[in-house]
Amino acid sequence: MERETLEVDVLVVGGGPAGLSAAIRLARLQQQEGGDPLAVAVLEKSRQSGSHMLSGAVLDPSGLDALLPDWKERGAPVETPVRDDRIYYLTAKSRFRAPITPPPLRNHGNYVISLNRFVRWLAEQAEAEGVDVFTGFAGTEVLYEGDRVVGVRTGDRGLDKEGRPKGAFEPGVDIRAAVTIFADGVRGNLTKSLVRRHGLDAAAPQTYAIGIKELWQIPPEREAPGTVVHTLGYPLRHEEFGGGFIYVLPEGRVAIGLVVGLDYRDPRFDPHMAFQRFKQHPLVAGLLAGGEMTRYGAKALPEGGWYAIPRCHLDGALIVGDAAGFLNSMRLKGIHLAMHSGIHAADAAFAAVRAGDVSAAQLVRYRELINHGGIRRELYPVRNVHQAFGAGLAAGTAVAGLAWLTNGRWPARPLSSEPGHERLASLAGYYPGGPADPDTPSNAVKVDRALTFDKLTNVHYSGTRHDEDQPVHLLVRDTDICRTRCREEYGNPCVRFCPANVYEMVDDGTGNGRRLQINASNCVHCKTCDIMDPYQIIDWVPPEGGGGPEYEGM
Amino acid sequence: MPFGRGERTDMVLVIAEQRDGVLNNASWEALVAAQQMGGPVRVAVAGADLGAVGTELAAADVESVLTVDHPDLAAYTPDGFVAAFAAVVADAAPDLVFLAHTYQTREFAPRLAARLGRPFIADCVGVGSRNDRPAFVRPMFQGKFVADVAPTGPAPHFVSFQIGAFRPDALKRGAAPAPVAAFPVTIEPGTIRQEVEAPFQEAKQAVDLTQAERIVAVGRGIKGQEHLKIVESLAAALGAEVAASRPICDSGWLPMDRQIGSSGQTVAPKLYLALGISGAIQHLVGMKGSRTIVAVNKDAEAPIFEVADYGIVGDLFDVVPAIIAALDA
Amino acid sequence: MKIAVCVKQVVTREWPLRVDEARTWVQDRDASFEMNEPDAYALEEALRLKEQHGGEVVVCSAGPARAAQVVREALARGADRAIRVEGDGLAAADASMVAEALAGAVRDERFDLVLTGLQSDDQGFAQTGVVLAELLGIPHATIIMEVQVAEGRLRVKRELEGGWFQWVSMPTPALLTIQSGINQLRYATLKGIMAAKRKEVRVVEAAADLAPRQEILEIRVPEKTKQTRMIDGSPADAAAELVKALREEARVI
Repeated sequence: MERETLEVDVLVVGGGPAGLSAAIRLARLQQQEGGDPLAVAVLEKSRQSGSHMLSGAVLDPSGLDALLPDWKERGAPVETPVRDDRIYYLTAKSRFRAPITPPPLRNHGNYVISLNRFVRWLAEQAEAEGVDVFTGFAGTEVLYEGDRVVGVRTGDRGLDKEGRPKGAFEPGVDIRAAVTIFADGVRGNLTKSLVRRHGLDAAAPQTYAIGIKELWQIPPEREAPGTVVHTLGYPLRHEEFGGGFIYVLPEGRVAIGLVVGLDYRDPRFDPHMAFQRFKQHPLVAGLLAGGEMTRYGAKALPEGGWYAIPRCHLDGALIVGDAAGFLNSMRLKGIHLAMHSGIHAADAAFAAVRAGDVSAAQLVRYRELINHGGIRRELYPVRNVHQAFGAGLAAGTAVAGLAWLTNGRWPARPLSSEPGHERLASLAGYYPGGPADPDTPSNAVKVDRALTFDKLTNVHYSGTRHDEDQPVHLLVRDTDICRTRCREEYGNPCVRFCPANVYEMVDDGTGNGRRLQINASNCVHCKTCDIMDPYQIIDWVPPEGGGGPEYEGM
Repeated sequence: MPFGRGERTDMVLVIAEQRDGVLNNASWEALVAAQQMGGPVRVAVAGADLGAVGTELAAADVESVLTVDHPDLAAYTPDGFVAAFAAVVADAAPDLVFLAHTYQTREFAPRLAARLGRPFIADCVGVGSRNDRPAFVRPMFQGKFVADVAPTGPAPHFVSFQIGAFRPDALKRGAAPAPVAAFPVTIEPGTIRQEVEAPFQEAKQAVDLTQAERIVAVGRGIKGQEHLKIVESLAAALGAEVAASRPICDSGWLPMDRQIGSSGQTVAPKLYLALGISGAIQHLVGMKGSRTIVAVNKDAEAPIFEVADYGIVGDLFDVVPAIIAALDA
Repeated sequence: MKIAVCVKQVVTREWPLRVDEARTWVQDRDASFEMNEPDAYALEEALRLKEQHGGEVVVCSAGPARAAQVVREALARGADRAIRVEGDGLAAADASMVAEALAGAVRDERFDLVLTGLQSDDQGFAQTGVVLAELLGIPHATIIMEVQVAEGRLRVKRELEGGWFQWVSMPTPALLTIQSGINQLRYATLKGIMAAKRKEVRVVEAAADLAPRQEILEIRVPEKTKQTRMIDGSPADAAAELVKALREEARVI
């Protein structure tokens, strides 16, 4: 088999805000410093730049200011300043507005953006700087020489369901680089393998949330662009961490979303149903009345904060952005931190390449830049917040408030924490009397297909598409567990936590059992299954390059 | 509805299609469309030895039949037909030229219209008007939308109609046969650049559901691969192709080229029977353009009923054998 | 052989489209775009013909500035250079306008063979290629499933209705419209993507005097004109009633 190979100086795996910031910074450093040309390549699994990007999103422009100070002249799609900032506590029927917006959630100077458009623009900037951005290629394997990372192999293309080559088969490409920057996003498949192989684990396990979002078209006069609303409380219970958001864009476009911590206890809880309930609340339903849902998407986000960030430098490699966990869950923001981390990684990688030394001892400079820069300044003071939220809303709010008041001096030590999936209770544990029906979500609502939707309909609005004739990209190591132990113990929570109807337990044909059916082509690449599965037997690996959602305006 | 410009109504010239003296059935549909315009209708047909075809067409209620008989037109070629009909249209000076949207029409009619510098609105499913302008209804974006499209500029305006858009049995027959006249054409040597060989039939490697007139589609309600037999029996009884929603093909019970919907085929047959298909939007986008939709489902609230013309709430294992029996009766 | 391939950028098939406010086009500002599928097959066929017979493949596209995306994709797959006719009015233009725009840009190139897809996924005229052949004064054939080239002549397999086919021969230069599925599409390679950046793209402004021959008065979601008729009764009764309705009302069996 003839395998294409490519040699570059720096390879960036993942074309999101972190990866593209690294690439742009590298190209500009080369221009400033001169010297040998620097070959920089970015691999991105989506068919077009930005298509897999999903966020609220409110952008803190500090990362952009640092990367491209002339972003306004360059026509960045960052045009809607936040003008009104509100927080509500919701009960099922009512709302209570917080008299003041706590400083961490204040958004003055920030912008409401579409992340996928922003990233598409970033990719254009990168290409204009001479970076090769390869879309439609997923990194599937880390290449090593000894323990040193020397690049990445991309996925084979043109395999059928059984993994046999089809007519147009194209084997994966080996891209070799002096430094590889892993920017493969939240729960990135390559970063996951790096952390395992090199024991990069952080002080605390990473914790995650899932964000589910729709874009709506409403009468433009109904709400002013730049309005930012955050909610706490309903539809989540005290035991569930998270909240809702409403961000108003120009021309009557509104982003509606719900973020739910992937450390909930109720095995029958369904985040997508919670999102439907959120829309049914009078605050949201009133805003959306007569409008039309135009887009849908979902994505996990890392919420563990400072203590959950693994070691991010190793021989020949760096980890940036969501892949490392650079997200401030107290401010609900990560794009600017991702960009800052990309910039720092680029600075470290550039120095290493120029020094001819890409060892961890040299690349440790990345950690120094983080520790002495804005990332630590922002994340360290709120280092205990999410772990505290794990104990419930009231305690979490108290700890968050204290952390802010004392600038993080209290609490001083990491609170004990555990991976979110371990908090998921068994059916017997959560429903001592036995659940009425393990197959029905505890928060089920009947969808009306106007305001509320079933998952399958929603998936249609994510534009998701995969070549149907390819190997399943959700590797379940033992499907026997699904129909036996998991059915008994947890009632197959994958059916509920997946926001895209990928997992279904269907009649196995014998008349008395079920089997797992994986509708892999529905997958919106949110990674929730890889994170939340109680047995940790699901491995999300990239499907054939180019497959996945087609987010636009998200 | 009849409409015209000023005092008179539009004259429509229908270009009929024949092969070896056998008229294409779709030509009658184009004639029906023309008759429904309410004005005078003429029909022209090209080929060689058209005597019988001319007589057959003359039975319709039309002003006249023109036969364009020439040895060089015995076999269809785009160059030959464009040259011949350019002369016919110039001479007859119709307001509208109607054709059935066959593969042959698709090949020569755009060139014919372009040669005359006139619009060709293709693949229409209906006729209407908007603010007194004649408009033709045609699907767009693979049937996701329909559009009212109006020709611009001077007549004649060319329009082709999707097969099945008009009912051939709605044809008005004349009290007496219409006059048949031969239209003499000269075809200069060198005009026809294509050389055609005899058509042949080939076993298709893959089924082309987009060409099927009737489709029996099955969904999850079938429960197991072994039950597909009754669906196949029903398809055989109806002369239909078997198709499926995604879960069936995902399970490998039917090959992927039988899948209807956003990740499979988009079809618009005359009859679409949806058995045990709930009607997820991914499926609906692939079939809701079908002319007649029948849904059989246990769940009375299944979305498939919203697009169906006929619905039966019931277990497909009870209903399908009953339909087979009723077809036999 | 000097081959031109005409490709169109269309809204991605899966895209949930909405009608625009004027109700004469779709809201495509927010849409995701791709190469029209039959055009991708035409491109692949051109690349294969070049591999067999040598020559050059030039990708041509008429559309607004965003169509640069599909041109670049074609170059990455292996086209040698590109001609792009740019005009905002071409996004929703009719077939004759697009054909005029393309003809103006390619006429002087004197291509031996021009390939287009059978039809576009958006307006679906199935006319652009045929009209272009007329404007260039070259013979054409449509819905082609196989292309053979020998001694300056083409022998092509044309699809007819109902599983029938026909071989047609003609001299070059000629134009063919290609059916989807004629071949198996190749993937763009990394090297192809890098090479594409260095390939020549000639951008031509669309002529100002292009005039449409048809006008969309209104575009809408097809309305269901008939009510759903629910048929009750025992399975046997319901089936009998259904068969009667299909025979006598709908007349589809």
